[in-house]
Amino acid sequence: MSPLWLSLKLAACVASLLLVIATPIAYWLAYSTWRGKFLLEAVVALPLVLPPTVLGFYALLAMGPAGPLGKFWNAAFGHGLAFTFGGLLIASVFYSFPFAVQPLMGAFESVDGKLLNASAILGASPWRTFCSVILPLSLPGIVTAVVLCFAHTLGEFGVVLMVGGSLPGVTRTASIAIYDQVQSLEYGQANRMALVLLLISFAVLSVVYAVNRRAGRRLWTPWATK
Amino acid sequence: MDAVGHEITAPLLVRVRKSRGGAGAHRQPFVLDVSLEFPAGITILFGPSGAGKSTLLDCIAGLLRPDTGSISVGKESLFDSAAAVDIPVHQRRIGYVFQSLALFPHLTVEENIGYGIADLPAAGKQQRIDEILSAFRVAELRRRKPSEISGGEAQRVELARSLVTDPRVLLLDEPMTGLDDDLKAHIIEDLRAWRTARNIPILYVTHSKSEARALGDHCVHMHSGTTVLETPQLSPGPSAGF
Repeated sequence: MSPLWLSLKLAACVASLLLVIATPIAYWLAYSTWRGKFLLEAVVALPLVLPPTVLGFYALLAMGPAGPLGKFWNAAFGHGLAFTFGGLLIASVFYSFPFAVQPLMGAFESVDGKLLNASAILGASPWRTFCSVILPLSLPGIVTAVVLCFAHTLGEFGVVLMVGGSLPGVTRTASIAIYDQVQSLEYGQANRMALVLLLISFAVLSVVYAVNRRAGRRLWTPWATK
Repeated sequence: MDAVGHEITAPLLVRVRKSRGGAGAHRQPFVLDVSLEFPAGITILFGPSGAGKSTLLDCIAGLLRPDTGSISVGKESLFDSAAAVDIPVHQRRIGYVFQSLALFPHLTVEENIGYGIADLPAAGKQQRIDEILSAFRVAELRRRKPSEISGGEAQRVELARSLVTDPRVLLLDEPMTGLDDDLKAHIIEDLRAWRTARNIPILYVTHSKSEARALGDHCVHMHSGTTVLETPQLSPGPSAGF
């Protein structure tokens, strides 16, 4: 598999997985009245401030033969997790976590509380209120979360290098390939791949801004929390 | 008894105490402490801002949890602190029209009205929607979104949405704030017609004496979280400022 396709596959898998994992967490963070929830908010935001190598280092330790995740994976599937696509996927999910949770949380919080009250008064259970009121009104935030996770994963370097190395067809993503090509002075090839990543990233961010503008409010921007 | 066996003339009994702290920029410590019986018909809740009228409605609807006391409709308990009963909001079968509009902006007028009767079979549901749209003279708006209708039309849709669910108690929190006199007259007419058709307790919060006189069968004057006077009809009240 070419590095570009591998990057696209990884980005698509991360965005899909994060949508499923981040939605209930963002819902809880948006509506919980628990006083200590700021601690979870801080944990969720950690990848925004941690150097990718730090996250990658701890992910590598956890996935190694002596790490808890590595041991579990070995027992369950008969092989290790480090330097595999699965390992890359798990590390990338952690790395892009705030890019999913924060736009979703912002979107859920922006749904007018009186609409939630009206829904309950009209006999809707919390689950039906979530599906029929919160989700449709949070659609711009959901699109933003998916697109940002996709773009962020596409551009990640440090975590991929630490956890996946550069195994061609397995863990050698576009950003790693560009780095390798520059190291071996193949500037032409590096330039072509860099240009493709640049165009994809531009297109993806254009989608985020177009969706936000259409929603009439800025739900989240990549530099709002950086 | 109605079609599904609910006692539709059951009075609403409210005996609650709810205190709120003074936290926040301008919030004053406040205690709601009332013991009231609301019979079928329209009861006007009258009183100055901060008297506890909206807090009382929120407690009845289940949006606020009283500290102590009980709330029941006929023999069915909705809340009882001593017996640890607290029926969730969505199971109380209480209609509530809020002070500010709360139509779902992503749904059409027809979908908004059908929201509370989603569990009915399709044919029966459509018939109920058509009937209520006609009764409140908003049938021609059925395909429009809330952003495409006027404030007065939205208020009538809100009323229709609350009433289509066939609630056993209806709470109206200043439902005609900001409407002109013609629209108020239309809505008062709609409410009178509904009161005649459905004999349920209706609690109507208003600052307007004309609305109170036009609609009220009973009147409860509130001040600083307590009931100061209950009258069969609106009277001038015991204190200035009402």
